[in-house]
Amino acid sequence: MHQFSRRRFIQSLAAMSSLAVTPVRGQVSGRVVVVGAGLSGLNAALHLEHLGCDVTVLEARDRVGGRVYTLDHVAGHPEGGGNIFGGSYGRVMHTAQQLGVALRKPPRGLPSDFYVRGQIIKASEWPEAQANRLPDDWRDLLPSRLQGRLQPSNPLMATRNWLDPALNTADQSALDGMRALGFPEEAIRLVGVNNSYGNRMADTSLLSLYRVRAEFARLTGSQLSFTEAEMGNQRLPEAMAAALKGQVRLNTPVRRVSQDQDRVSLVLDNGESIEADALVMTAPLPALSRIEWPMPTERRRLIESVEYHKVLQAHLVVEAPYWEKRGQGGSWWTDGQLGRIFVRPIPGTERFNLTVWINGDECDALDAMPKADCQAEIMKQFYALVPDAKGAVSVGDVVRWSTDPYAGGVWSLWRPGQAAKVHAALRAPLGRAFFAGEHSAVSYRGMEGAMESGERAALEVARMLS
Amino acid sequence: MTGQTLVKAVITAAAFLTLAPMSSLADELSGEALYGLACAACHNPGDQVDHRVGPPLGNLNQRQAGSVEGYEYSAALGASTIRWNQAELTGWILDSDQRVPGSRMVYNNQLTITEIQRLATWLLAKQAESKPY
Repeated sequence: MHQFSRRRFIQSLAAMSSLAVTPVRGQVSGRVVVVGAGLSGLNAALHLEHLGCDVTVLEARDRVGGRVYTLDHVAGHPEGGGNIFGGSYGRVMHTAQQLGVALRKPPRGLPSDFYVRGQIIKASEWPEAQANRLPDDWRDLLPSRLQGRLQPSNPLMATRNWLDPALNTADQSALDGMRALGFPEEAIRLVGVNNSYGNRMADTSLLSLYRVRAEFARLTGSQLSFTEAEMGNQRLPEAMAAALKGQVRLNTPVRRVSQDQDRVSLVLDNGESIEADALVMTAPLPALSRIEWPMPTERRRLIESVEYHKVLQAHLVVEAPYWEKRGQGGSWWTDGQLGRIFVRPIPGTERFNLTVWINGDECDALDAMPKADCQAEIMKQFYALVPDAKGAVSVGDVVRWSTDPYAGGVWSLWRPGQAAKVHAALRAPLGRAFFAGEHSAVSYRGMEGAMESGERAALEVARMLS
Repeated sequence: MTGQTLVKAVITAAAFLTLAPMSSLADELSGEALYGLACAACHNPGDQVDHRVGPPLGNLNQRQAGSVEGYEYSAALGASTIRWNQAELTGWILDSDQRVPGSRMVYNNQLTITEIQRLATWLLAKQAESKPY
């Protein structure tokens, strides 16, 4: 064998043996644009970069995180968005660990009193309270615990069951379903006033309520303890963005998306055009519906058919525990417009964070007001409930998710039976466009759902580009 | 390079190619890439429990299911008689809830059956690793 050909032969052997190693990096290549720098988009971006893609993230807001939003301008940096990491949130906790985002056990929230039918009631007095109109075998249950009575009839004990077509066909509204199960009307009313899984009981999916209960029923041991990021949950998406080699462009809303066989094209609000081999679209559906995008009519109809949960929060800072002199706990569960009031200490200080948490259709009137008027109305009602708070609290901020053009609410809601019909269709790829976001997750809801969806979208993109 | 060395190199290369899954020659995601996309956030590739919510997956071949010391398994998986091999692992990844009702892995499989098989082959061939993934 001649020297030259021998060298070439050895080179080809080397090339063959390198194939055998199948490196992770370099296996996938191509330009990917991710729209949305929330947890789903950032997780997709990190995975795709790790696999070898050239990734750019476009974010409409002036910050990363999306619906993870720490109010850094308020003492105690309370969470305006995603506020607790469940004990089974594997992707969230591992990513935090990898990127050095310190987690902690959340400070313990203060005990709650009840304000029902205009009467202030201590938890211990609830069973005998005049305002407690529940029948005898229900009246010992606190209003916040009534949903627990759903668990014995819960058909969901596996991850994917909530999308089961047969269970969805049998699904009904929480109103009808609870009546059929023998829930008294007063119990249904009390469940409805602070219901986080629908904006009104008449079209809240009973299966959605079962789903949440099934998730909790599956947790045991260490998974029952929750965590949060010590310096605010937004530190997690910030750390994820910082770990990316590619650009994260803030203040960059997308106006138009189009594609052909070879590439996807985006036009930004500023007129700039961007082309890529693949797109990961993570905008919440209300925001997605506002992007110009030629797509099948049915797909657009599905996007517009999904309602988002309404949440409005007033974040207050408490200087002194005004509730102590009346022997109250500090937190509240009410059947009025104020919804729930959560109070917890700010670690290392004498102060407290207080969040007025209003959800569902109760937000409508407040959402329609200018922000200053909305804040004034909430404070008027708050002082009516707790006059002692005057002079002891200051307003940090009011957060209104429904009126936020890049969110449209806090999370997607499924009407009775809707999930099986639309969920898979909404996350199906469209040509070179792939979809992520909590609304597209299967195993989890909330922040872990967002992470899960980003992982799945990255897999879909990697398949196409490998 | 002598002729003898060259022959050895050819044999070594041939051995590599034989061991390499066919996927490495085609446009498919490797077992390692699939592990990164579907498993690594919850399972480390070593044999010690760490901060992750699932048990470690190193030295998995023929391991009794639910047997890693220090990991808190569901009663259902702890009581199962599974020993992890290609078929068991494929079935588990495909639908763990169906394979062991009452188990606790909250996972919705997105991999194709051939991807699962490739991932399972890679996992079972893997010795415990101490470096973090």
